[in-house]
Amino acid sequence: MLDTFSLPFVQEGLIEILLLSIPAGLIGSWIVLRGFAFHSHAIGTASFPGLVLADGIGFSAALGAFGAAGVFTLLSALLARSKQTAADSVTALALVACLATGVILASDVFNSGANVDTLLFGSLLAIDSSDIWLAAAAAVLAVLTTLLFGHHWLAKGFDEDSAGRLRSGSALFDTALLTVVAVTVVASLSAVGALLISALMVVPAATVRLFAHRLPILQLVTIALVVVEGTFGLWLSVETNAPPGATIAVVSGAVFALAFGARALGQRSGVRPLAVATALLALTGLAAGCSNQSTGGDGPKVVATTTQASDFVSEVGGDRVNLTGILQPNTDPHGYEPRPSDVMAVADASLIVRSGGHLDDWTEDLIRDSGSNAKVVDLSRDLPVKLHGGDDHAEVHGGKHESDAEDFDPHWWQDPLNVQAAAAEIVTGLTGVAPENASFYRGREHRFNVQIDRLSKGIKNCLKRIPANDRKIVTDHDAFGYFTSRFRIKTVGTVIPALTTEAQPSAGDLADLEETIRREGVKAVFPESSVSPALARAVARDTGASTDYSLYGDTLGPSGSEDATWLGSMKANADAIVRGMSGGRFGCFEVSDG
Amino acid sequence: MIDWIAEPLSHGTTVRALVEIAILGVISGAVGCWVVLFEVSYSAESLAHGMFPGLVGAALLGVPLLLGGAIGIILAALLIATISRFSGDEADTAIAVVVTTLFGLGVLMALSPESPPGIQSLLFGDLLGVGDSQLAASAAIGIVVLGILWLFHDRLLAIGFQRDAGPSFGIRPGFITALLLALVALTVLVGVQGLGNLLVAAILVGPAAAARLVSRRIGPMMLTAVLIAVIAGVAGIYASYYLRTAAGASVVVALLACYLLAAAAAAIPVKSRVTAVRISS
Repeated sequence: MLDTFSLPFVQEGLIEILLLSIPAGLIGSWIVLRGFAFHSHAIGTASFPGLVLADGIGFSAALGAFGAAGVFTLLSALLARSKQTAADSVTALALVACLATGVILASDVFNSGANVDTLLFGSLLAIDSSDIWLAAAAAVLAVLTTLLFGHHWLAKGFDEDSAGRLRSGSALFDTALLTVVAVTVVASLSAVGALLISALMVVPAATVRLFAHRLPILQLVTIALVVVEGTFGLWLSVETNAPPGATIAVVSGAVFALAFGARALGQRSGVRPLAVATALLALTGLAAGCSNQSTGGDGPKVVATTTQASDFVSEVGGDRVNLTGILQPNTDPHGYEPRPSDVMAVADASLIVRSGGHLDDWTEDLIRDSGSNAKVVDLSRDLPVKLHGGDDHAEVHGGKHESDAEDFDPHWWQDPLNVQAAAAEIVTGLTGVAPENASFYRGREHRFNVQIDRLSKGIKNCLKRIPANDRKIVTDHDAFGYFTSRFRIKTVGTVIPALTTEAQPSAGDLADLEETIRREGVKAVFPESSVSPALARAVARDTGASTDYSLYGDTLGPSGSEDATWLGSMKANADAIVRGMSGGRFGCFEVSDG
Repeated sequence: MIDWIAEPLSHGTTVRALVEIAILGVISGAVGCWVVLFEVSYSAESLAHGMFPGLVGAALLGVPLLLGGAIGIILAALLIATISRFSGDEADTAIAVVVTTLFGLGVLMALSPESPPGIQSLLFGDLLGVGDSQLAASAAIGIVVLGILWLFHDRLLAIGFQRDAGPSFGIRPGFITALLLALVALTVLVGVQGLGNLLVAAILVGPAAAARLVSRRIGPMMLTAVLIAVIAGVAGIYASYYLRTAAGASVVVALLACYLLAAAAAAIPVKSRVTAVRISS
């Protein structure tokens, strides 16, 4: 058990939890006593537009979250003035107003929101020093306000009548309480994320409240309980390789269930906690079955971020590289949350290969958190072909537009030429950490290049069977710019109007898309393997286009299948696209149907 | 003008979105009135997260997702009712405990390699991606919900307006609250399928809160809420069609605008309204 806590990233998570336990105990007790659970949940979720704005304009996420929390509080105060609508309805309406603003900002103003959901979900494994300072500030503020205002809040919390006598200052005290709640919630966002904030702020205090009847006892025992649950949850998550936020939520929920059961039965036997703890361990063990796998090869330890980067490293490195891939096949990289084994693999690695762009921009957090000093190879840095993000797909030549570095379309591996350049980068990287294998890696790179050339030629030949006028496709999100520009296919439109899968289309956009599909005679709409196909199906239903052929956009195919390699997935994509464009009459490479 | 109204109707996605929002408007306008009277807005907002483990479980076992989601969300509603009844605390706290635990459980279950890709997006849904089978399911659930509302109308009314009066009429308030939470759960299920959990709270709480401002009696209040929900929903989709804004968010903005209008109307004292009418007549 102590081994786990000697890892630097676990220690940072632990410090964060210990700091947050203070406001969680002091203020969490108030949240439960005053019935502010909805408010504290809402203020966390309402930070969404602030995060989108911070991401789009480029200022600190915490500042964005604070701003949004301020607007939310103001909005609920304004709506509450009429006094004809109950407090909970007002909270719901103010929250919904904030969320709708966030969606509109993400879909229609910035066309992005790429970093937003990692912030909404948060992780104890990706804590940096500013998060710890924020938590410390929340702790200090909680202690100060409790000392200053505690007795006034008490009067109102337990007895509305005596609070009436203190009316003169009660609005001020309430404002102070709500401010501390907001600061604490924003400080906890990066640790557990908006949806699980109650795991720290409400559930432990509610558990202690079942037994404690005096406020100081309630507050102190809650602090102790948060410390115990947080430490145990963090340890359990590292041992079972589960995300820590969700683990802590389930642990604290189970402790509540236990306490609730014990109170309902009026008994406190020692057997019961043991039984629940065992059940818990079994449950998290269930989640642990899917840890990422190292190839166990003989050679330098290498971590690759995306499924494609992973595949390129194994093509070049073969069995003389000990490779760990972080993203699993068929998962959407836009919604990645780091797991303990990822941080440990990064800490051990001597070389880190990343794909680049917003698809794996969490890599920097992982490297910083693990204390790793591995060499990092960003495959997207010196590509022969680079496309702009957005609709125009203007070409950028690698290295010449440094200012546009953030703005490129990160799905570069859809162009075989880029993959050859990436393979060369990987050889340089690998040779740097294992010079003795240099000729071995170069030999494999050569073989890989021959295969890539054969693939390109194969795809080109296959596409020749489609008349130039019929080479039109509609894809789910904008992930195939490189493929279509290399092989001269016209992308008529995309269902989701952005490079990320998180934006929402408008009715007008979809209607236009349907119009275009009819006018241009597009035969197929291609859903992506890692994205829900509902929208693509809806468009296809109206236009008579088919959605039978799905493409690998952000991720490779499931492990074990032929499509698990980049070569395999490119063949499958080309086959699907040709089948789609020819109305199912023929495909490429004689890949089996379905 | 007629062209302006008819043009969006030539697109299947828009038509289905309009039908879905109309069905949802009728159900949630009616259920929403009870949500506002019983003050259970938090449930309306958060229950959707509680169905996550149900969805993942259904996907892992290979049963229809809607069934798994329904079981998960109703289980969550009943747990909330039980805990808030026995712990003596605010229902708020019970909701936080149940929903947080279930959501955490769902996240852990979704780590299983057998869980299908994009299951999280089922939690969020998309108004324009609604299919015919989803419309049929929405209508069927809607009929069930409205039927139960009609059957229990008097008992809901007795508890909703006077929480303490229940026992004297031989009604168990605990049972009625649990029943209401189950109905909210079913409504949320319909809403989330097509519209995502963002919109659910807006359409459940917004129209009913607006209706409460302008009508005192339950009958007119329900009628007003249903009308507001349907009109604002349709207006939101037309806005999304012509102004090219995200569909779900546009509906929310229209719903909030209705609430603000009602609040403004309610803020004008009754006396001056009467005078205004007299002067104008």
